[in-house]
Parts: sequence; C-alpha cells; structure tokens
Amino acid sequence: MPPVAGGYAPGVSSPSALRPYAWLCGSVGTLMVVAGLLLFVSFIGYHAPNSDPRIPTGPVGFYFVAFSGCALLGWGGSLLATARQPGAGRGIGTATAFALVLSAVYRMLGWVVGDYYAFAGELLRVEAGIFLLLALAFLWLRPARETVTA
Amino acid sequence: MLRWLATAAIAGLLLLDLALPSLDIGRRGSEAALRSDVPHAVGRVGERLPDFTLPDLDGTPVRLADLRGHPVLITFERSVDW
Repeated sequence: MPPVAGGYAPGVSSPSALRPYAWLCGSVGTLMVVAGLLLFVSFIGYHAPNSDPRIPTGPVGFYFVAFSGCALLGWGGSLLATARQPGAGRGIGTATAFALVLSAVYRMLGWVVGDYYAFAGELLRVEAGIFLLLALAFLWLRPARETVTA
Repeated sequence: MLRWLATAAIAGLLLLDLALPSLDIGRRGSEAALRSDVPHAVGRVGERLPDFTLPDLDGTPVRLADLRGHPVLITFERSVDW
C-alpha cells in the first residue's frame, strides 16, 4: 500500500479508532473464557459422587455442555488475542456477530416452543436481545477491510 | 452495503424479540395447559378428571377411581436422563 498523507488511507482504521473494538473483544472474550471454564468444570462436577448438578440434564446433556465449554474457551481465546491486535481481527468480528445472531435466534425459537420457557422464562428473550445488540457492536466496530500494519 | 443489510436483518430480529410477548404464537409453560387449542388436552382447571389407569413404579396398574375418597396428588414430569 502506498504511503498516504496523515498515515492512513481512506477506509483504513487508525489505532485509536480500534480501541472500542479491542475493548469489546477483550470484555466479551473474558466472559466467554469464564463461561467456558464453568461449563467444563460442571461436567467434571456432574460425575463426582453424590453430585447435585444445577443444570437439569443427564450424561448426554453434560457431554455437550463440556463441548460447549471447550468451544467457548477457544472462541473467547480468539477474541482475547484480537483484543491485543485488533487491526488484524476483522474476520473474528464478523464470525462472532454471525454466531451471536444464531445464538439469539435459537433462544427466540426456544421461547416460542415453550419447553425452554418453563426452564428459563423471559431470560431467553433478554439474552437474545443482548446477543443481537452485541452482534451489531461487532459488526460496526470491527476494523475496516484495509488496515495499516506497520 | 452488506453491512447495512446485516444491520437491517439484526434490527428486524431485535424488533421481533421485543414483540414476541404480544404475538399469539407458541406455547409458554403453564399457559399452554390453559389453552383450549392444545391437541389431546383433556379437562380444564376446575373440571373433574376422566378416569384412567396407569402403571405404578412396580408396574402394577393403578386406577384413579380406586383412589376415590383419598387425597390424590398427580404430577407430570419429563425425564431428564438424556
């Protein structure tokens, strides 16, 4: 890319403009890592003698709970890495927004179906709303397609 | 352009999420039991239950009519062993 007066070409994100994106990736990534650890530990706790699991499911359910925990650890770790180098993490913002929208959609469907409403109530819709707002934030705060990587 | 399309789609989902309680769709927990259009629903709150026979934990048939005169508590549970 040829040098541009002022340091940044049109459509290129400056480091200060990337600060909100870095903060978003860092905070959401931290929450995902914590949630992933909790889900993974809950699998181990379920198999402990005389356990009293807080998630109302059985061995197959906890199998997928543990898998979700591992996936969240990887996803959150990627976001934390992006928080350190936000200019190089446009793609993770797009993928995260897409996955958050999917997460919101299945919560809304769960609310409509009814079985999950009995378990989680209006929390389903509240979470869906939060995820959709976060998806919008990832969509609009991600860096421009071309970034300066001096 | 794509970003604006995605934004419009997400905004639409947000509006749908907010409007869900006011839409007459789906089944929401105990509300479903009170709805008359639930398939196979028998009886309503306050009505006498029709007689039925079901096996107990040992497989012995238990008839509701045989329990007349005794307090009866009926619970409905869904297995979570999956």
